[in-house]
Amino acid sequence: MPSIKLLKGNHAAAYACKSARVGMVAAYPITPQSPVVEKISEFVEAGELPGTEFVKVESEQSAIAAVIAASATGSRVFTASSANGLAYMHELLPWAAGTRLPVVLCIASRALAAPWSVWTDHADVFATRDCGWITMFAENNQEIYDTVLTAYRVAEDPNVYLPAFCAYDGYILSHTLMPVQVEDIEKVDQFLPPLKHHINLTDFEHVKGVGPVTLPDPPDRGEYGYAPGYFEFRFSMQRSLEHSLSVIKQAHKEFSEIFGRSYGNGVYKTYKMEDAEVAIFAVMSVAAESRLAVDFLREKGIKVGLVSLKVFRPFPSEDLREIFKDISNVVVFDREIGYGWEGVLSYELKAALYKSSTQPDIKGYIVGLGGRDITYQQIAKGVQTALTMESVNENPIQTDFIGLQLDKLQFLKREGGY
Amino acid sequence: MSVAVQTKDIINVVIHGRGGQGAITASNLLCECAFRAGFKDVLDIPKIGAERRGAPIQGFVRLSRDKEIKLYSGVRNADYTLIFDYTLLDIPSVVKSLSGIILLNAPEFMNLDCIDPSFEVWIVDATGISVKNKLMISGFPILNTLILGAFAKMTGIYSLDIIKDVYKARFGKNWEKNFLSAKEAYESVKKVGRKI
Repeated sequence: MPSIKLLKGNHAAAYACKSARVGMVAAYPITPQSPVVEKISEFVEAGELPGTEFVKVESEQSAIAAVIAASATGSRVFTASSANGLAYMHELLPWAAGTRLPVVLCIASRALAAPWSVWTDHADVFATRDCGWITMFAENNQEIYDTVLTAYRVAEDPNVYLPAFCAYDGYILSHTLMPVQVEDIEKVDQFLPPLKHHINLTDFEHVKGVGPVTLPDPPDRGEYGYAPGYFEFRFSMQRSLEHSLSVIKQAHKEFSEIFGRSYGNGVYKTYKMEDAEVAIFAVMSVAAESRLAVDFLREKGIKVGLVSLKVFRPFPSEDLREIFKDISNVVVFDREIGYGWEGVLSYELKAALYKSSTQPDIKGYIVGLGGRDITYQQIAKGVQTALTMESVNENPIQTDFIGLQLDKLQFLKREGGY
Repeated sequence: MSVAVQTKDIINVVIHGRGGQGAITASNLLCECAFRAGFKDVLDIPKIGAERRGAPIQGFVRLSRDKEIKLYSGVRNADYTLIFDYTLLDIPSVVKSLSGIILLNAPEFMNLDCIDPSFEVWIVDATGISVKNKLMISGFPILNTLILGAFAKMTGIYSLDIIKDVYKARFGKNWEKNFLSAKEAYESVKKVGRKI
C-alpha cells in the first residue's frame, strides 16, 4: 500500500532513492543537504536497501568521482550536495555529462560563500548551468520525491543518457516537514525499469573504456573508420539535451498516468494563467510564495498568473514563447544574481522571447539572497511597481532588489557604488 | 474543542526554545499529532541556523484541517506561541514578537509582568515534572513531549490517545515514560488569571 508519511524535503529525496532502488550512494556532509544521505545510511543499516553500496568519502569532489565511477559500471547512483560542496564538485560535473552517465544529484540549495551563509538562495544551482546536466526544480516535498524518480527515468532514457539535478530550497523545503505519499516499490518499478546502460566497465567483452582523449579533428582509424572528435561528442551532448525536453514531457505524462500526480506539462507549471494579462516568472520557493501573491493581486483586480519553471536545462524556450504570447508584462523574481548582469532567470527569459512576435515587457527583481525571507506581499508590491514603470528596459544594468534592509545599517550612498 | 480553532483555515504556531531543549523535535511531533488527528496538511518549518546548545531558536508550525498550505515562510502572527524556557522572556525580540495564546514552561510562581496583560497565558511546569519523573537526557530534562501534552489540553487539537500513538511510533521502549509525563502536563497546565 502506498503510505502518506510526514517527511522533510531531504528525507523525501532519500525515500525516492529507496523507491528507485539505487545501487550506489556516495556521501559527504554539507548543510543543509546532509539529512538526505544520513537517511539513506539508515535505510542501508536497517537492511532496507539490500542492493545498495553506501560509500563514505572524504570530500564532495570524491563523492562525485565515486558516483561517476560507479555509474560507469552500469549502476544507478545518487549523491547530494549544497553550495560550496557543489562548487567543489564542479570540475567533475562536465565529466559526468560528457561521459553520458545518468547520475542523479539532489541540490538542497544554499547561498555561495563568501560571506558564509548556510541559508537558501539559488546561486549554487545556477552556477552549474553550463555543465550539460538536466536541471529540475521542486516546489514542495512531494514534488521532490516525484522529481527524483522522474530525473532517473529521463537521465536513463537511451535517447538522453545525461546526468540530472533535482534542486530544492535548503531549509525552506529540506528541513520542512509535510505529508508525502511514498509509492509502492512495484509501482515505481513499472515507471522506472532497471538501468541497462551500454556503458558498463565490468563488461570487459564490449566496453573498453570511457573518456578518451579526443582530437580537434576526427582521427582516421583505418578499417574502423573515423573516431569522433571532441566537437562531435559535444554536438551530440547538446542535441540530446535539446531532445530531452520531449523525453521529460513524455516521462511526466506517464508518471501522472501511473501515480495520478502532475506538475504542469512536466517542464513548467502555471497558476491562474488562463485569463492572465500579467505573469510572474519564478522557480522553487519564490514560485511557491508567488502563488499567494497571485491570489492577493487578483483580489485587487489585477489579472496576474504565475509560470513556475520546472526544467531550467534544457531551457524550454518554445513553451515559454507560447505561454507568454498574450501577456503584456512579465515580472521575474530571481533568488540569485548573474553577477555583473542581472538575475539569471530574467535574462534567460529575455533571450528566449527575443524577436517573439508579441514580446512582453520583462522586469526582473533580485529577492531573498542568503535566506532572507521573501513574503507574498513583497512579491505583489514588486509586480505593482513594475506595472507602473514607463520603460522597464531603461537601465537594465541597474538591478532592482526587494527586501534589502539598508536603512538599518545607515548605509551611506557613495559615488559609484556602495 | 474550541470553536474558534475549528473555523479557522490555518492554525499558526511559533515555538521558542533553546538549542538542546527539543523545540525542533516538538514542532515535528506536533505535526505528527495533528496529522493523526485528521488535519489534511501540516507544515513544520524549523528556523535553523548556526545553533549551539543554549542559544535561542525558533520553530514554526502550520496546521490546516482541509486546505493545502501554500505558505512556507516563517510564521509572523501566531495563534499559539509556545515558550520552552521562561528566561527567553529576557530577550526583547522574543517579547516583542509574542502573539496569540501563550503556553509557557515556568514554575507557577513566575512573575509575568513582562508579558502584556492583553495576552492569554497558560503555564505548565514541564521542567519540574520532567525532573521529578527523572525524564532526562545527559542530565538535561526532556521538555518537548510534556509541552505537547499541555498544548493538547490548551487547544483540543489532538487527544491524549493520539499522543500515545505518536510516542509509541516514535520513541520505541521509551514511549511510556514520555507519555505519562505528557499526561501529567496535560492535567496540570493552567490558564493564568491576569490583572487587566
